[in-house]
Amino acid sequence: MSDARPRLVYVCEGGDCSEKGSVELHNDLKEMLKTADPDGKLKLRKYPCFGGCEHGINLALFPDKVFLSKLKKEDLPRVCDFVCGKSPVPAGHTGIVAKDVEQIVWDLLDTGF
Amino acid sequence: MNAVDLEARIPNNVGLKDDKKLLRALEQWQPRFLDWWREMGPSDFREDQIYLRTAVGVGQGGWANFDYVKMPDYRWGIFLAEPEPEKKIHFGDKLGDPVWDAVPGEHRNVLRRIIVTQADTEPASVEQQRLLGHTAPSLYDLRNVFQVNVEEGRHLWAMVYLLHKYFGADGRDEAEELLRRRSGHADNPRILQAFNKPTPDWLSFFCFTSFTDRDGKYQLAALAESGFYPLARSTQFMLTEEAHHLSVGENGVGRVVERTAQLMKEGTDPRTVGAIPLDIIQKYVYEWSSASYDLFGGEDSSNAATYFGAGLKGRYREGDGLYRDPKALEQAYTTQVAEGTALRTLEIPLRRAMNALLLEAYYADCKRIVDRWNRTLKRYDVAAEVKLPSLRFNRQQGIHAGKWYDPEGNPIAQAEFEKRRTTWFPSAEDYATVKSCMKKVYEPGKIANWIAPPAQGINNNPFEWEYVKFH
Repeated sequence: MSDARPRLVYVCEGGDCSEKGSVELHNDLKEMLKTADPDGKLKLRKYPCFGGCEHGINLALFPDKVFLSKLKKEDLPRVCDFVCGKSPVPAGHTGIVAKDVEQIVWDLLDTGF
Repeated sequence: MNAVDLEARIPNNVGLKDDKKLLRALEQWQPRFLDWWREMGPSDFREDQIYLRTAVGVGQGGWANFDYVKMPDYRWGIFLAEPEPEKKIHFGDKLGDPVWDAVPGEHRNVLRRIIVTQADTEPASVEQQRLLGHTAPSLYDLRNVFQVNVEEGRHLWAMVYLLHKYFGADGRDEAEELLRRRSGHADNPRILQAFNKPTPDWLSFFCFTSFTDRDGKYQLAALAESGFYPLARSTQFMLTEEAHHLSVGENGVGRVVERTAQLMKEGTDPRTVGAIPLDIIQKYVYEWSSASYDLFGGEDSSNAATYFGAGLKGRYREGDGLYRDPKALEQAYTTQVAEGTALRTLEIPLRRAMNALLLEAYYADCKRIVDRWNRTLKRYDVAAEVKLPSLRFNRQQGIHAGKWYDPEGNPIAQAEFEKRRTTWFPSAEDYATVKSCMKKVYEPGKIANWIAPPAQGINNNPFEWEYVKFH
């Protein structure tokens, strides 16, 4: 049994977020990470819906448990630097969705098994 | 990866033009699908122009091409998500083996059963919803139910492709049966019980898409981990479309709750103005959520253990590496079950508890949406809350079947359950109340009095947009 779980970047592709461009944002981030994370230490994934729909586009970093909201394409360079550990959490994008929405996301990902 | 062929009679990215036998078989199935759609798809509206999203590919932007379409002209295509190179099975006894691009002989029957069960839900839901267009509360909602319907039709195509391509004559027979069974039919019903329930009104539809479709999301997510790679790639793409269906449900119930809360804040009894009181919304939530819990199967299941061990069906997001033991051999799942009027602890070896694990993930998701509805009530200073019933409540499948619990999951006597049944589930009178609210509103920008408008429209268009153009 191993506990070497990877660092995961989840981009919401729920109905509201995808209508705001989350699929494109995911694909653009994927391209940026090819350069910024050449060893592939981060795993970029789509997530069906976090439930923070009013505040999309949403992105979650796990197991760091950082939840970013209201992201737009122009935020991507800062987001990329952040998830690669090169800069602090982008200001103005955290603490926006309700705490219980965040918590359920972490509970789902932190499976206990 | 095959190129996307949009010009073909059946749009696809699976190289149909190079597989003449398969192409012929699917082209023979296509007219029968269209016959089924005309008979059991949305009643009327065939000549109307609907603002729909059509998948024309799996790449950037390709899955969401918006335009006006007549529903019978919708281009139902077959699309698989892009494959990962050198993909390996990442759980179960075959951990580390290459994924299968063909059906392993020893798993043929089980895989066919899994695919048929999933496939059967797709036309079933279209049949359940076929009359809703006549009572749509707005053009926005009318367009949404049709969007859900055509995409469930596409999901049927995705599964039928797998049956035809990988299961020979048996698969072709199963594909025919999918068009013969009917939701709610006495002699030839759909396979799963929740897909035989009537969906007589829009609150039922929103509860269906909130709770029953959400089961679909978790089943698809588990299949998206499968070692049978065509199934995994097929369901990965279906999940992209399914997300919209869930938001239709979540936002739909949320908008009903919001309208009710607005009226309650004004001191108006919703019943007096053609809106839906909170106690009836609660009963619908109890009814649809508990029926959907049963779709996960037994909490202690040897079948589930077999599927996991064989690499056919994984845990939720198994491929993300979230689990410490990818073979699930070293731990146990603990739960509680009624013994008389008390609860006793039950330990299930983890592999046998795969359905229970998936159900737990689903429950957390349901809890999130109910909490969201309750935040709306709070915003309007309504003290009451909508409650999600315990996973033990009203179960017909699994370890709680034949036992009796209240919505909080406390064991009770059967007589007590029966006595309180009408306080928990919609009565004929409740259905009549909801039915009396269901009056069509087809004018752009207008909406029925029992539901609030959405926070935003479709594809950056406003709510007032003409989402349906009548002929």
